[in-house]
Amino acid sequence: MSVSANPNTAKVSLRAFLAKYSVLIAFAAIVIFFAVASPTFLTPANLFNVLVNNVVMLAIVALGLTIVISSGGIDLSVGVSVDMASMVFVMLLAAGYSGVVGVGGGLGAALIVGILNAILITRLNISPFLATLGVLFIGQSTQQLATSGGQPIYLTSGYASDQFKAIARTALFGVPTPVIVLVILAIAVHVLLHRSVFGRYVQAMGAQPGVAWYSGIRVPRELSMVHVLCALLAGVTGILLSATVKSYVPLSGNAFLLDAIGATFIGTTLSRERKPSVIGTLLGVLLLAIVKNGLLLVGWNFYWQQVGIGVLVFLVLAVSFGLRRATH
Amino acid sequence: MQAAKREIAVSMSDISKRFGPVRALENASLEIERGSILGLVGQNGAGKSTIIKVLAGIIRPDSGTIVINGETVPSLSPASVEKLGVHFIHQDRLLVPTATVGEAVFLGHEIGFRPFVNRRAMERKAADLLQRFFGMELPAGTLVKDLTTAQQKVVQITRALAQKASVLVLDEPTAALVKREADSLFDVLRRLRDDGIAVVFISHYMQEIEKLCDRVTVMRNGTDVGTVDPRETSIDEIISMMIARDVGEMFPKRSVTPGAPVLEVTNLRLGGGFENIGFNVRAGEIVGLTGLLGSGAKEIVQCLFGLKTADGGSIKVEGKQLALSTPVKAVRDGIAMLPEDRRAHGVALGLSVRENISLASLRRYSKSGLVSRGSENQAVDGLIKELSIKTPHRDALVRELSGGNQQKVAIAKWLSCQSRVYVLDEPTVAVDVGAKVEIYNLLNRLAGEGAAILLLSSDLLELVGVCDRVLVVYRGRLAGTFSGPSINSDALLAASSGARSNADGVAA
Repeated sequence: MSVSANPNTAKVSLRAFLAKYSVLIAFAAIVIFFAVASPTFLTPANLFNVLVNNVVMLAIVALGLTIVISSGGIDLSVGVSVDMASMVFVMLLAAGYSGVVGVGGGLGAALIVGILNAILITRLNISPFLATLGVLFIGQSTQQLATSGGQPIYLTSGYASDQFKAIARTALFGVPTPVIVLVILAIAVHVLLHRSVFGRYVQAMGAQPGVAWYSGIRVPRELSMVHVLCALLAGVTGILLSATVKSYVPLSGNAFLLDAIGATFIGTTLSRERKPSVIGTLLGVLLLAIVKNGLLLVGWNFYWQQVGIGVLVFLVLAVSFGLRRATH
Repeated sequence: MQAAKREIAVSMSDISKRFGPVRALENASLEIERGSILGLVGQNGAGKSTIIKVLAGIIRPDSGTIVINGETVPSLSPASVEKLGVHFIHQDRLLVPTATVGEAVFLGHEIGFRPFVNRRAMERKAADLLQRFFGMELPAGTLVKDLTTAQQKVVQITRALAQKASVLVLDEPTAALVKREADSLFDVLRRLRDDGIAVVFISHYMQEIEKLCDRVTVMRNGTDVGTVDPRETSIDEIISMMIARDVGEMFPKRSVTPGAPVLEVTNLRLGGGFENIGFNVRAGEIVGLTGLLGSGAKEIVQCLFGLKTADGGSIKVEGKQLALSTPVKAVRDGIAMLPEDRRAHGVALGLSVRENISLASLRRYSKSGLVSRGSENQAVDGLIKELSIKTPHRDALVRELSGGNQQKVAIAKWLSCQSRVYVLDEPTVAVDVGAKVEIYNLLNRLAGEGAAILLLSSDLLELVGVCDRVLVVYRGRLAGTFSGPSINSDALLAASSGARSNADGVAA
């Protein structure tokens, strides 16, 4: 975009600035709004609650989706990965196995979902949308079949679960453990996506799959890796979820799907090319979490929260894309 | 043909059109007579398709007049042209594959009381028309995708006739047809001519032009260089009208003594594509490959890069036998490919110059899976400078570059890979003249450094100007090999259009 020396210059650069930082501006505005509207909003207890309960688990799922969306695909079955990991984890603990076995089993269950997606997409050449939609249906029914129609499984005290509950609630140097898990995973995914060879291949597949193939990139293998990683990350969320609530509630993972997709796409407004990025996704997650929490504090009920979030997503995307078009 | 009554259906005169610095048409004229078949010939880029697109209302000319049925038309749009009775059968099938024959024939002019369509009436009327004009019987409700390519052409023509076409323009209608189908299409066109319809027939196959047309208009460099009667003018004469002699400074000189064979192809075969293909390319040599659409030349190149797997034969690079089943293997074995569709396969427009250049060789710039930006930047900057790629900086998006510079980025990607064999598929299509010369210089330099280069091109001047040897493919077989002074456009064109049959008697 070339800017000539005329009176419009200031207007153009202001627009460009607004377009680029619309998420950050919206973020700041919303924080200020709720801080004024609700006295409890900025208290440490509330912020801790937002961070641990609303941000961490959603953010980990969204990290996985960020990888998938970067590759030009989508994973509608992240909720299934969350649930499968949660179910197997809780079942193993309830059967008296140790925490390590539980975590291993849970991640293994998520891995199977990822491999299934990878096979459908790269071997059977089914589009990611349809493949993962199919897995979503199958995964939901599987859970209902395994839990006699969707009965939750609760962990009573005395199992290894107590340790996990402790982990979910404790803090290391004042930082809650789940937040530390998120920070480590976010850094790992950031390096993977933006610094590694694999990340480059993912970006190339997302930008122009034909070029990736014609450059000698093993597209099916890399794409399989993308879907396996996404499922594993969702599995981590499943385990954190069960450790926090000491139970497995069938189909609870689906709640993450749309929020995670929304967060990832809100994050794309940060880059000029509208590419997903780890930082953008984390900001998107924070934005959604704060709006939910803030609306709750000012007394809106659950259904109006959904409306509020919908309007917010529209506003951020419309302002960002609209301003950007105007500057080109 | 009765020469007595010459009725002009369409007259285009002094049509000029520029695209930026490129003159696509320069005072070009075209006259289409009723009851006559006009052949339109010329090399790629001569302006054939541009002038047809002007008539079709797709391209607006900068200047010139168009008279249709005696009336001057100030401006044309695809819809208004159809209303005037001028219809186009484009090269690619433009029929909805899942439509029935009736729906296809009346597409855009459905029969029925809006918004409803009377499907049964459309099927019946379509069947009537097909029977009446072509004696063709199809079961009611046949789907377009179940028809042969020739039948689809006939359905397209029927669609035009159903709307009372008086002028019919066919762009390379026989490219995808076998000979028998082509012959029956010619019968159809002759019947239409005898009914007084004006037919324009664009083809690369000189024999078809000779067999079918009453007059031939030859185009070269954006203008019409003459209209002749093919019964009085030989194919050779028409070909020499098509080719400009002044090649000039376009093609830089070079002198290289070829080394050992780098790429050796023996007895390569692909079902439905080509057979018995054998050749080699030596270090420092630029070998051209050419053939008409559907000749198999394209498929040979695809097999060399693992995009298609040959059914038999062998491909060796530097003596090593290769099993090329995917591009992954081809790249690893040192084969570089510059694909024809640059935007879909050559460069990723949404990635930066840096990301594109290093894409095929990232392993060289990485340690334990992480890209080392320092060495990547150094290599990329070196290549940008070496190929004089005009880009603001290495992180600019390739989308922002001109076509020629995008192509240079695509070449740089393989230079970064240090490939041994370069397979180029129409590398100068949609590239301006200046960038063309730069690309030719680049090929010369690559060859000078010992690379083996195979250049698939349909630009005969390019082949004459750049190649040490040229292989011509005709209907799936090598129809001729030309080297050194024997490479000339006349011979190449003749061999690729089958006008000059060889000892194998391949030509029809």
